[in-house]
Amino acid sequence: MGQYLLNRSLQSLIVLFGVSAIVFYSLHLTGDPAALMLPPDASREEIDRFRQAMGFDDPILVQHVRYLAGVLQGDLGTSLRFQRPALELVLERLPATALLAVVAMAWSTALGFVFGVVGAVRRDTAVDLIVRVIALSGQAVPVFWLGLLLIIVFALRLGWLPTSGYGDLEHLVLPAITLGAYYMSAVTRLVRANLIEALAQDYVRTARAKGLSAWRIVIRHGLRNALIPVVTVQGMYFAALLGGALITEIIFAWPGIGRLAVQAIQNRDFPLVQAVVLFAAVVFVVANLLVDIAYAILNPRIRLS
Amino acid sequence: MNTIKYATAGFATVLALAAGGVPSASAEELIIGRSVSTTGMDPGFLREAATLVDNIFDTLILRDQDMQLVPGLAVSWTAIDDTTWEFELREGVTFQNGEPFNAEAVKYTLDRVLDPDANAPTISYIRTVAGAEVVDEFTVRVTTGAPDPLLPTRMSRYPTYIVPPGYVEEVGQEEFARSPVGTGPYAMTDFAPDEHVVMEANADYWRGAPSIDTVTWRVIPEATARIAALLSGEVHLVESVPADLVDLVEGEDGVELVQVANGGLTIYFGLKMDEPPLDDARVRRALSLAVDRAAIAETLLRGFATPKGTQVGPFDFGYLDLAPPEQDLEQARTLLAEAGYPDGFEIRMQGTRRYINGAEVSQAIVQQFGEIGVQVELEVPEWSVYIQQVPAGEQAPIYMLGWGSTQTLDADAAIYAIFRSGEPYSTVSIPEMDALLDESRQVIDPAAREAILHQIQELAAEQVPVITLHQEDSLYARRDNVVFDGRADARIPVYDITLQ
Repeated sequence: MGQYLLNRSLQSLIVLFGVSAIVFYSLHLTGDPAALMLPPDASREEIDRFRQAMGFDDPILVQHVRYLAGVLQGDLGTSLRFQRPALELVLERLPATALLAVVAMAWSTALGFVFGVVGAVRRDTAVDLIVRVIALSGQAVPVFWLGLLLIIVFALRLGWLPTSGYGDLEHLVLPAITLGAYYMSAVTRLVRANLIEALAQDYVRTARAKGLSAWRIVIRHGLRNALIPVVTVQGMYFAALLGGALITEIIFAWPGIGRLAVQAIQNRDFPLVQAVVLFAAVVFVVANLLVDIAYAILNPRIRLS
Repeated sequence: MNTIKYATAGFATVLALAAGGVPSASAEELIIGRSVSTTGMDPGFLREAATLVDNIFDTLILRDQDMQLVPGLAVSWTAIDDTTWEFELREGVTFQNGEPFNAEAVKYTLDRVLDPDANAPTISYIRTVAGAEVVDEFTVRVTTGAPDPLLPTRMSRYPTYIVPPGYVEEVGQEEFARSPVGTGPYAMTDFAPDEHVVMEANADYWRGAPSIDTVTWRVIPEATARIAALLSGEVHLVESVPADLVDLVEGEDGVELVQVANGGLTIYFGLKMDEPPLDDARVRRALSLAVDRAAIAETLLRGFATPKGTQVGPFDFGYLDLAPPEQDLEQARTLLAEAGYPDGFEIRMQGTRRYINGAEVSQAIVQQFGEIGVQVELEVPEWSVYIQQVPAGEQAPIYMLGWGSTQTLDADAAIYAIFRSGEPYSTVSIPEMDALLDESRQVIDPAAREAILHQIQELAAEQVPVITLHQEDSLYARRDNVVFDGRADARIPVYDITLQ
């Protein structure tokens, strides 16, 4: 196990280095943002001076080494637009993003499980049909559309909830529903499909022959085995969400990492784009590792080596 | 795109069903919905529009509601000679932290932006200033390197909002941007990045206490959500209403659209005139004559823009009322033939969605160019990439851009940067134009300067350095009880807003 973790950590470092290098070069090779940072009436000399002061006129390799040296010391650079450390800006927005991600994942996983189990157990009945329609529509409806629809119905028409914003519990409801809808559908479909498969296994038939109760069979013998792919998928989804839910955060004016990323890209705020991407990559790599460990715990047949 | 259209259509339908009866604004509080987040509020190092700092700080000279320069923190100003201006300062003004306002504060404000080591992004706005000299506690002299007719205007906008030297030195620049202190009508009390900025009225304000006690600037980046917040009464005023969402506001009770004609950017197609065929003025004129500006403004822009014959706006000093060229395909074809292109030519063009229906406008113009035989290959690149290509000279030979002069309301801002050869955003090279532009920056006498600015616009009409299309309106929406008509300089001075 220890050896495995060490190997995986080394692999992760290579992945992170690769990600940061790709982002760094794809940003820098498409031109520098000096002109964008200055008012439109700035002269060429003023732009050049600013470029020099920001170090954008150095050879790109020099800039990359400087960046890496900073990263190793925990310094991801200073945001050009905010004039504050880029990492600080990302971490400042992490609570909002994490809150939204946790709540969206929690309700979507719980409901997805219920729907998935019901669909699998009552396979090919009217109930199953309804479950499948819900599952399909959740993944088919664009987040943008769903978000606006919820705003119209629950904020404007019924007046139950605020249209957007952050702070109170009531602000959380609509974005969490919007964001979770897709994942709820994904979980429903996964659980249903895997459970149907598990219930068709020999050991389930054996369990039935032993006269175990139907629910006991579903939960002990079916669901436990159906759980594994769900854990993988949810782990990855959660990691992706921690990197920021771009569209949901924008529609609901949610002050999270996704919005920060969009602003950074729009402003070509290089250090901030790099910080957001690197952060998302770290979360993804760590989540991947945790998922693999969870695998081994859930399924004793899997050995980490 | 389709998603957005569907959403909008669905939105409109359900809105029609939505019941009225939304809460109205309280008499003391105003909540404004903005499209962009505030990153910092240090006026000397601002990297965004000055909308917020405008309410926290004051300049020596203010612009009143008729866009005239009037005394602000300075009670009077005179040009002592061609390069020296003397400002008599208002006595008895204090910053919101109690620090006194005086000549030292003015000098400090200018010095910190002019300091070459500070790398102030705003330095270009006061680049003509050589220095400031304290004459006595309430008299300050500002010298310029060369005669600068625009100096009073420069003292009416950022980065010359006066900052408190003691406080800035004490907290440092980074903290000052987060917790600004000025002499203005409102003091910032809460700044939650990407959420809101809250300001409280400054009861000791030198122009008298503001009528609105609290103003909250909420950031709602998505336009439909921003308007929904207005309709539900959560916010009382929103900026940046997109033209295609105007219907949501216009059919509703309790809310009103605020349309500031000529309050936005003037949209044009830049022409790279250093290479054929655009080096020939006849070709440029032909392209300009092929465009049906009136039809574009009426249909594609739904009337939220005015066709223009000059890049200068009607509120700008030096504006010359030139009629927009009428579409004349016959004349355009003749000019092309004279220039040696009887069958037209092929050329690349870039448009952008940044402006009102920018992609659709570009497509319409591609068709209109096609009618005179000019075959255009149109690209609509992503804005953040495109706006980097333009100052680097990597854009297509014909490229769409919007230019504004709202911050100074002077023709200089509207034309110098895009007409003067060698400027980052200019692809123009007309020696006669350069000479006139340079002269316009040195003549102090307003009448003489106005005459030069008129000459420049006449020359532009003849030489067509760019194809001027139209000037966009700026659109706001407000609850009924908010008295705000919008301003030509794009400011939102809450001090002048009242609630009924």
